[in-house]
Amino acid sequence: MTSQTSSVGAAVPAGGRSAPAGRTRRAFGQTTAGYLFLAPWLIGFFGLTLGPALASLWLSFTNYDLLQSPTFIGTANYVRIATADPKFAAAMKVTFLYVILSVPLKLVFALLVAMAFNRGIRGLPLYRAIFYLPSLLGTSVAIAVLWRQLFAADGLVNAALANFGIIGPSWISNPNYSLYTLVVLSVWQFGSPMIIFLAGLRQIPTDMYEAASLDGASRTRQFFKITLPLLTPVIFFNFVIQTIDAFKAFTPAFIISEGTGGPINSTLFYTLYLYQEAFGFFRMGYASALAWILVIIIAIFTAFSFLSARYWVHYDD
Amino acid sequence: MTDVPFHGAARSSVTRSVLIHAALIVASILMLYPLLWMLSGSFRPSEEIFGSSSLIPSSIDIGAYWRGWNGLQVSFGTFFWNSFVIAVLSTIGNVMACSLTAFAFARLNFRGRNVWFAIMLGTLMLPYHVTLIPQYILFLHLDWVNTWLPLVVPKFFAVDAFFIFLMVQFFRGIPRELDEAAMMDGCSPWRIYWKIMLPLSTPVLATAAIFSFLWTWEDFFGPLIYLNDIQTYTVQIGLRSFVDSTGSSDWSALFAMSVLSLIPIFLVFLFFQRLLIEGIATTGMKR
Repeated sequence: MTSQTSSVGAAVPAGGRSAPAGRTRRAFGQTTAGYLFLAPWLIGFFGLTLGPALASLWLSFTNYDLLQSPTFIGTANYVRIATADPKFAAAMKVTFLYVILSVPLKLVFALLVAMAFNRGIRGLPLYRAIFYLPSLLGTSVAIAVLWRQLFAADGLVNAALANFGIIGPSWISNPNYSLYTLVVLSVWQFGSPMIIFLAGLRQIPTDMYEAASLDGASRTRQFFKITLPLLTPVIFFNFVIQTIDAFKAFTPAFIISEGTGGPINSTLFYTLYLYQEAFGFFRMGYASALAWILVIIIAIFTAFSFLSARYWVHYDD
Repeated sequence: MTDVPFHGAARSSVTRSVLIHAALIVASILMLYPLLWMLSGSFRPSEEIFGSSSLIPSSIDIGAYWRGWNGLQVSFGTFFWNSFVIAVLSTIGNVMACSLTAFAFARLNFRGRNVWFAIMLGTLMLPYHVTLIPQYILFLHLDWVNTWLPLVVPKFFAVDAFFIFLMVQFFRGIPRELDEAAMMDGCSPWRIYWKIMLPLSTPVLATAAIFSFLWTWEDFFGPLIYLNDIQTYTVQIGLRSFVDSTGSSDWSALFAMSVLSLIPIFLVFLFFQRLLIEGIATTGMKR
């Protein structure tokens, strides 16, 4: 692979233009060749992305059950979602709670561990592998199955608690706790933001710390005055990526609740609700409206993040 | 991988490093414990899994693997084969289609390139949920439901913009002199792509291939929607119906099949760890 130096900077899409070499060598500029190479993507873009996206936008204003052709009902789907759908409200609550709890916790863990690694300790590759593994196993059904069993009434967690004389509840089937088991699952998978943090930490020039040490700055002060500010671009990146990902979470909630989002809608992730509407009840129009609302939520979140970045993300020059 | 001590003051305090190691070892055990518990659970009788936090089974019994393998009316062998074929075909599709697209963006000058590139980046942000339902309707009309086609064919049209972006970044790092020289010698763009770019890009192609394979292997949502016939099930869907059919009666068999379903991921992790980690560090992949 290329050098480590370019690492995190490259994570943020770098602007489109490349070297002006084409100007000298017009032979390169064969438009036909360009479009021939681009053909598969273009077909995919129009046929599988743009076309379907527009179609779902239109469907979101219809009533469609796959059997009869869609009937246009104006904004009725959106109105019902906003005013008369308690399940939508439940799904929003669950999803936002999940995002608000899991993302910061996951990032704090990832940063803490990356900081511990950054001191160049022995056995780093082994530790890093161990911490990264759960994140790689990710959304496998097997992991969701395992989680269900870990937090069952007679599962591993309660068996461990019993050693301390604590009788734990049935975490999965108790609506007060079920969502938190999914938060724990998400936090357990802090491996990939950790690796991104580690790459970011390595880009902070050592001499800054040396200078700070000479000036008598404590480690805590160095953390708040050097590490944290210089790491804000990476924190920002991880935050945006992890949040969008958390909004889209599906598999664990599906397996743990057997597709119901229960008990009492306590694990009804937004995507799970969308799935139920589309493929459980075949309300394709309604589900399309739900999909577009998710897009809008994610877009608003992303826009706000980028706007706020101006005030807290530190960029060179 | 070499890891150079970062701060000059690393030897400043031995206690500090002992404390960090102790914390990391405890954390490592906590991280791995659930996985090891599942592994050990697959070798012991179901009733022993419950209410036990120990890792050592009283006796080793591989019966659960046999029971699980044949636990549904179609054996897990079929599911593994289906998953494997889908993952391999998707990987091939992704690498081929995305590298073609990336080559056009990185190396060819054509009208509208910057516009298309911006649009491609835009699709990176688009959640798949907005294309999901019309795509489903499309594949339903093509009579592709209950086949692998809806899971595989889109990959041949470079729908995973993420990999395009990854490859464009890499291709731009390859010195232009190489293909300009080839151009002077009358090499066609295709030959430059095939004979110069691809051979020089094995690291990024491998990274894309590995992540494609893993993501397709782990994919649950796609197969859940498109595969209803048990003959076409992937491992993930098979495992899910196994959960439904066994309920909580045979946890060791369920664990056994869960363990098997993770083995391909684990093998990839073992052999390609460096590529995985560098892939994440350089591109910020989310998993």
